[in-house]
Amino acid sequence: MSMRDKSRRRFLSGLGVAGAVAAAAGCDPRAPAARREVRQWDYTADVVVAGSGAAGTSAAIEARAAGAEVLMLERLPKTGGSSAMSGGVCYLGGGTPLQKALGFEDSIEAMRDFMLAAGALHPAKDKIELYCERSLEHFDWLVAHGVKYAQKFSESKELPFDGASLYYSGSELAAPWRDIARPAPRGHVPTTAGHTGGRTLMEALLPAAESAGVKTLHGVSAERLVREDDGRIVGLLAQEGDKTIAVRARRGVVLACGGFIQNREMLKRYASELYDCSVPWASAGDMGIGIRMGMGVGAAAIRMHQGFAILPLYPPERTIHGIVVNRAAQRFLPEDSYYAYAGHETAYNQHGVAYLVTDADSSYDDGDFRMPLLAEAASVAGLEQAGGFAEGALQQTVEFYNRHAERSVDPLWHKHPKWVTPLAKPPFRLYDLSVRSAFCPAHTFGGLETTVRAEVLDAGGERIPGLYAAGRTSAGMPNAPYIASGVSIGDCSFFGRQAGIHAAKEEVAA
Amino acid sequence: MNQAHRVHTACSPAALLVLLLALVSHTHAAEPAPSPAKPFAERLAAADVVNGRVVFGRCRTCHYPDKGAGHQNGPSLWNVWGRQAGTQEGFAYYSQALKDSRLVWSPEILDAWLADPRGFIPGNMMMSLGVPDPQARADLIAYLMQFREQ
Repeated sequence: MSMRDKSRRRFLSGLGVAGAVAAAAGCDPRAPAARREVRQWDYTADVVVAGSGAAGTSAAIEARAAGAEVLMLERLPKTGGSSAMSGGVCYLGGGTPLQKALGFEDSIEAMRDFMLAAGALHPAKDKIELYCERSLEHFDWLVAHGVKYAQKFSESKELPFDGASLYYSGSELAAPWRDIARPAPRGHVPTTAGHTGGRTLMEALLPAAESAGVKTLHGVSAERLVREDDGRIVGLLAQEGDKTIAVRARRGVVLACGGFIQNREMLKRYASELYDCSVPWASAGDMGIGIRMGMGVGAAAIRMHQGFAILPLYPPERTIHGIVVNRAAQRFLPEDSYYAYAGHETAYNQHGVAYLVTDADSSYDDGDFRMPLLAEAASVAGLEQAGGFAEGALQQTVEFYNRHAERSVDPLWHKHPKWVTPLAKPPFRLYDLSVRSAFCPAHTFGGLETTVRAEVLDAGGERIPGLYAAGRTSAGMPNAPYIASGVSIGDCSFFGRQAGIHAAKEEVAA
Repeated sequence: MNQAHRVHTACSPAALLVLLLALVSHTHAAEPAPSPAKPFAERLAAADVVNGRVVFGRCRTCHYPDKGAGHQNGPSLWNVWGRQAGTQEGFAYYSQALKDSRLVWSPEILDAWLADPRGFIPGNMMMSLGVPDPQARADLIAYLMQFREQ
């Protein structure tokens, strides 16, 4: 950027959010407006929530329940955010009524041990522990706010399509995690036909917010925070069409505007492993605006490179009998792990390149839209040559795998015996799992650093008074590798609630 | 792509007006506006359906074009060509704006729509940034044109 551009940008930003700075793209922090620059407030509420997905809506419901006047802003014409486009799975356990009714034992400890072990090194331990301890209460809260679960379990490894509400949504049954923590199905999906669990979830929470008295403005985009001289956040400036409006928050602002998977500049800068993933999995709102508003007032943004990258090896589950290899024809994971684990290992640890090798009994149907077929051959040697692997490398991998698979054993990665069978029946096929050309949905997990009360922290670990964040605007429980469907929505809804509860308790700003 | 595979559909005067307005409006694209587009017919003739499959991936948060996959968050995109927008049975989530548009889906209309979904029909409920790159858009459309009754 030239000096002239910089000074022009400063000039424009001095005028509010109109013009160039209103564009959602870009990755600069959003400088706050000073309280004294705001001549008049267009709206006033105790708690102002930016974003209307699971995090924002849960925050709004709880703040309202605590007696606060709540205003929720949604920049798109439609509420629900990316949550409404998700699977709607909430990761819950420790013996929820649904788990019990369906005959599954679980404990808070098993859930916690799995969540701490299966994801990133050094995860947000305090958040995970609190979430697990409060999981039963959170289940009750969701049900009390209209979320309906069917008493039906699904054996499917993929989000159930048949209205079932409980399934193993992650890597619980895969090695090594099945030996670290007793597995239990913890994916709780609002009962629905097809892949519309997220919409169904938000069709419960949004009306619950409305009937509680939460006011919502559509097509109003939060753009900059308003800060008092003493550092307290007292409101925000938002864009309503071509008009800039000032919104006062007497007690607190909750940033719940999603992540940044739709913002290519931010991805390149902060999460380059996700940049090449072929499918941004989010609504149009995930532009990182909330994160940049927080950065503009000095908030710490952490784990920014983390996110999920999904390579949906299954369904069908017969493909799990195949083997995933890298450029050197080496296996690098148990193929029965959660499909976001396969995506993670490929995107982050294999430079985005991987392959699936199958035989006649383990291949996809012809024309499957997800994984391009690269080669087909009557022998593994032929497939190796067609795929351009070093001579002998793939043959050695398959020979080693098959030798043990005769006894249903996988000594390298401990794939569950039920998926371990020799790759013996031609034709052999090679599928492209590279994150650029396979169907590889991705989403960001990095964001503003928050406490378990969803208070936003600055780089020195101090609170930024009056500022809260939740969902993918914050760096919450979900990390990389992603361990199970439902951890993100669980985090959004639970820590969104904490944001609402605690923002409503702030003293009124002068 | 073979011209014989092109689908020609009727286009109402209202839809044409919307199309013309859309073509002169600016986009809200996430990435910098690409260089001026070649005419759609030229882009479609040069379309790469293999890339179209990849580009279409982002639409699968809500839409499946595969026969029998049905409506999900968004309406099914199986065999949409020549159908009036906002009229599929069994999908209860159309915006009034789309229903009032009287658009009939043709490759050309889809090209304009995906260039700027929010600007093309203000108030519609497709929560997508569209496909700003003109050739990628044509690739996607060529891919989607395969999903129809022969």
